[in-house]
Amino acid sequence: MVTLDVDYFRDLETPRLARLAPNLVAAAFPLMKLMPARFILDRAASNGELKAGSHIVETTSGTFGMAVALLAAARDYRLTLVTASTLIDAKYKARLERIGATVIALDDPRGDGNQPGRLERLQEILANEPDGFWTRQYDSPGNWLAYARLAELFIRAMGKVDCLVGCVGTGGSLCGTASFLRTVFPHLTVFAVDTHRSILFGQPVGKRMLRGLGNSVLPKNVRHELVDEIHWVGAYPAYRTAHRLLREHGLFMGPTSGAAALVAHWVATTLPDAQVAVIMPDEGHRHAETVYNDEWLSALPGWPCKEPSEPRTLTTIAPAAETQWTRFLWLRRSLDDVLKTREASDVPPAVGAAENL
Amino acid sequence: MAEAGDLMSRGALPSPVGTAIAIAHHGELIQGVFKDDDGSLHRGLVTLPIAGLRSEARFDRSDGDAVVVTPDHKVKAAAAARLTLDFLNVTGGGELTLQSAIPVGHGYGSSTADVVASIRAVAAAVDVQLRPSSIGRLAVAAERASDAIAFDDHAVLFAQREGKVIENFGGSLPPLLLVGFKANGGVPVDTLQLPPARYDSAEIQEFGVLRALVARAVRLQDPYLLGRAASASALISQRHLPKQGFNEIAEIARRGGACGVQVAHSGSLFGLIFDLFASNLKRRAALVAQQIRRAGFKDVEVHLVNAEGWSW
Repeated sequence: MVTLDVDYFRDLETPRLARLAPNLVAAAFPLMKLMPARFILDRAASNGELKAGSHIVETTSGTFGMAVALLAAARDYRLTLVTASTLIDAKYKARLERIGATVIALDDPRGDGNQPGRLERLQEILANEPDGFWTRQYDSPGNWLAYARLAELFIRAMGKVDCLVGCVGTGGSLCGTASFLRTVFPHLTVFAVDTHRSILFGQPVGKRMLRGLGNSVLPKNVRHELVDEIHWVGAYPAYRTAHRLLREHGLFMGPTSGAAALVAHWVATTLPDAQVAVIMPDEGHRHAETVYNDEWLSALPGWPCKEPSEPRTLTTIAPAAETQWTRFLWLRRSLDDVLKTREASDVPPAVGAAENL
Repeated sequence: MAEAGDLMSRGALPSPVGTAIAIAHHGELIQGVFKDDDGSLHRGLVTLPIAGLRSEARFDRSDGDAVVVTPDHKVKAAAAARLTLDFLNVTGGGELTLQSAIPVGHGYGSSTADVVASIRAVAAAVDVQLRPSSIGRLAVAAERASDAIAFDDHAVLFAQREGKVIENFGGSLPPLLLVGFKANGGVPVDTLQLPPARYDSAEIQEFGVLRALVARAVRLQDPYLLGRAASASALISQRHLPKQGFNEIAEIARRGGACGVQVAHSGSLFGLIFDLFASNLKRRAALVAQQIRRAGFKDVEVHLVNAEGWSW
C-alpha cells in the first residue's frame, strides 16, 4: 500500500531494509538522525515548547545537525549549531549554512572536541533567546523514544528478532530500538558497536580515527544495562567492510555502517539459527573523498591491512590499534558494575550472551 | 445502479422482517493509542472474537414511527435500529427483539453484539447488506464506544470512539485456542464508569510496536507473535486497570507454553492464547485450566478462534 505522508520527512527518515544473509536484515538509513530529530521537534511543537519561528540550538557537527537543519529550514525555525573547529570540515559547514543554519565552530586547542566550551556557548544563546529550544539529543528521552518506529519496521519485515546490532554514539538508536524490541522479545541479545578510545564502555579517552560513533562524554541516552556484548571496531576494518557493502550489496554507506555490518555478519554466522537485525545509520556521500578515495586511503599508515575475520575477546577492557576488532562480554551490567569488577580483577567467565543463546 | 434498484423496490418487500446475529469477543488482543498516517493519535483496539457466544436480533418493520425493543432495557440496540433506519432512508419503525447468551459486564462485548445484531437485522428487513465499516460507524454512533465485532473474525485496528478503521490487517486472525477465565472474583466491571486510560509517551510508542506484531501475525498466520503483542498490551493494561493475580497467570502461561496472556482492557476477562496446531494441545490446555482453577480464578472455559470445525 502506498500512502503519501503529511510531509516528506517521514519517508526520508525511513530506512531501506536489506537482507544481507538468510538470517541478517539491515536497516540502511539515508540519514537516520531524521527519526529522532523529527520526533523531538514534533513533540516540542505539540506541547508548546517549540513555537512558530523559535530558535533551535544544538551542539553537534554530525548528522543530527544536518537532520535538524533540514527540518528547521522546511518548518521555518532558526537554527544555531555549536561545534568545534576540529570536528567539522569546510564542505559540511557550507552544506549546513546553505540550508540556513548558523554554524559556530569554536577553537579546540586540546583536540578533544571542546564540549564544555560548546555547552557554555549554547547556554549563552539560550539565555538571550526567550523562544530558544535545545533539542538535547544526548539526554532527551525523545531521542530513544523515536526508535519505536525502527522496531516496528524490523518486526513487520522479520517477525521475531533474536539479535540486534548497532553503533553507539548518543545511545538513542541502539538503546531505543533494543528497549522496544525487548518488551516483546525478552530474549533479545544486544550487540553494541563502539570504537577504540571512546569512553562509552569504559575505555580511556583518546584520539579516535573513526567518526560518527563512540564519544568522549557519556550521554544519558546510553543505557548500559541493555547491552549483552560490546564490540570495539577500529577504523580500518570499518572502512574495509563499508567497501564490501558497496561491492557485494550495492549499499553505499558510511564507515560506521561498515563497523556495524562487520559485527552483524559475524553474529549471523556464529548464530545461524538466530534472526539478526543491524542498524546502518548513514550513507557514504560525506566520505566520498576519504573512505571511498584510494589516494586518501593509501596515505594511511599500514593501509591496506588484513581484515580480521573475528573479534579478539578481551577479559580486561583496553584500547587497541585502528586495525583491530575487539569484544567484551558486557552482560547487561551498569558501567559502574563493570568498572568495579575491573578494579577487583574479578573477570566474568568467557561465556556470554552469544554462546548462551 | 443495482443499489438504486434495490432502494426503489423496498416498499414492495414481501416479508418486512430481518434476523441477524453478532458474535461476542473475549476482550482485546491489544488496546491503546495509535498514530494514523498524519501522525495524529487515536484510541484503538484489536478485538479477539469468539464465535461460540452470540446475540440474535429480529426486526419486524411497522408503519408506526417508534422502535420498540424487547427486553426493554436494551436502549442502545433500539438507538442503533433507529440510526440504521435513518441511514438507509427508511420511514417507519418496528419491533426489535433480542436474545443473547453473552454475559454482561465482563468484557465479552454483550452490548456491542446486541447493537451490531440489531443493525444487521434492520438492514436485512429492508434487504440491504451493509459493509462492516458502515456497521462499525453506526455502532459507535449508537453506544459512543464500540468494539470491532462488526468485522467478525477479520482483523482490524479499530478506533472504538470514532467508528473507523485505523489499519486493516487484511485477513483473519490465525486459528487459536483460548483458555478464558475471570479475574477479581468474577465481579463485573461497569465499563461506562471507567475513565479513558491516560498513556505516557513510552506506552504510546510501544503501541506502534504491538500493532506491527499483529500485522505480521495476521499476514503470516503466526500465533506466537499475536501472543507477544497481547501479553505486552495486557502488561500495559495492568498499569491502568489492574487485575489481581496477573503475575501468577503470566507464570502459568509461560510454564504451559502459551503464546501469550490476553485481557479485556475494560473488563475482568483473562485469556491464555495457544496455537491451535501446537502438539499435545488438549493435554496442555487441560493442565493449564486446572492450574488456573487451583489458583482461585472463576469460570475457566475453553474458546476456539477460527477453528474451522476443529473439535475440542
